Amino acid sequence: MKALTLLFILLIFLATGCYEPYDSRIHVRDEVKSDNIIDNVVTRPVAKAFSALIGEGIEIDEAVLRRNKAGILELYINGHNRAYGTKRFRYRVEWLDADGLVLETKTSVWLQASAMGKSPFSLKAVAPRPEAVNFRMDTRKWE
Amino acid sequence: MRARTIQIITLVSILFTGCEEKTTNIDIMHDDGKPVLALDYRDFDQAASTLVQSLLASGALKKEGGGRYVVATGRVVNDTMQRIDTDQLMAKIEEEMLNSGQAVMTSAIGSGEDKLIHDTRKLRDAEEFDQSTTPARGTLIAPELTVSGKIFQRNIRYDKKTQQVEYYFQLKLSDVKSGLRFWQKEIIVGKRGSNKSVAW
Repeated sequence: MKALTLLFILLIFLATGCYEPYDSRIHVRDEVKSDNIIDNVVTRPVAKAFSALIGEGIEIDEAVLRRNKAGILELYINGHNRAYGTKRFRYRVEWLDADGLVLETKTSVWLQASAMGKSPFSLKAVAPRPEAVNFRMDTRKWE
Repeated sequence: MRARTIQIITLVSILFTGCEEKTTNIDIMHDDGKPVLALDYRDFDQAASTLVQSLLASGALKKEGGGRYVVATGRVVNDTMQRIDTDQLMAKIEEEMLNSGQAVMTSAIGSGEDKLIHDTRKLRDAEEFDQSTTPARGTLIAPELTVSGKIFQRNIRYDKKTQQVEYYFQLKLSDVKSGLRFWQKEIIVGKRGSNKSVAW
């Protein structure tokens, strides 16, 4: 009987593991998508509490630089929020010239951003002048 | 009795001094101050930065065949309940347009007009001035593009204790010759706060 129960649990976990989203570009949130054995109305509060306990937050996946048709450098940041709750934060992008010096500009100010729980997010920044060749970015809590 | 009175006065003075709010300088670069319901410099910085980035990314300032566009600042309407000098926003945007190397701003016409440019031309017949130093006729450059906009406010009752204030910053860039609009952008700055706070 015990072995049967274990087998049943194992099968459920394997079945859940086989689940693949219809399309990775489409994100269906908790409480909208169907519950499963791992993510359901019982386990979700525990997972949220654990996420808050270990201090999950945003993570940056990639930073892409490209020069647009006007010769201006554009920065695209892709990241995701590991936490269950929405993360609101501020970010500031500073642009550097060929000598690595910061370009003085009114556009380098703290801007607001937010990423919903367990979701990807994107940020875009545009250099103020064609002399920009690189960047540095800082973040801080949205008070 | 007299000593007692002096003691009380001293104590009251110390207490009142303790209540006085200390004046501090704002750290403009990393301001951790609380947001306010009215528009403050942080809102203007944020709006100007987002508008300029959008304008530069659009490529609307990139002139075909090289060179720089001559841009005049048009009217920027303040339709909020606050007394805003719209130059607070436009000065930042004009500065960044100039620094981008893609446009030059004109002071000959528009809301950024410099009256002295025209006054200097009135000196052409003045005997007191060396006429070779006065500007010749037909030297002013007409603008090719104009930038104009509007800032307006909507106040909404959120609940019994809270009000929602929405500020809209709208800016557009138009071609003078054809009248066509090359670029436009709207930024929304939203705030919620006590009904007791005044947003003007």
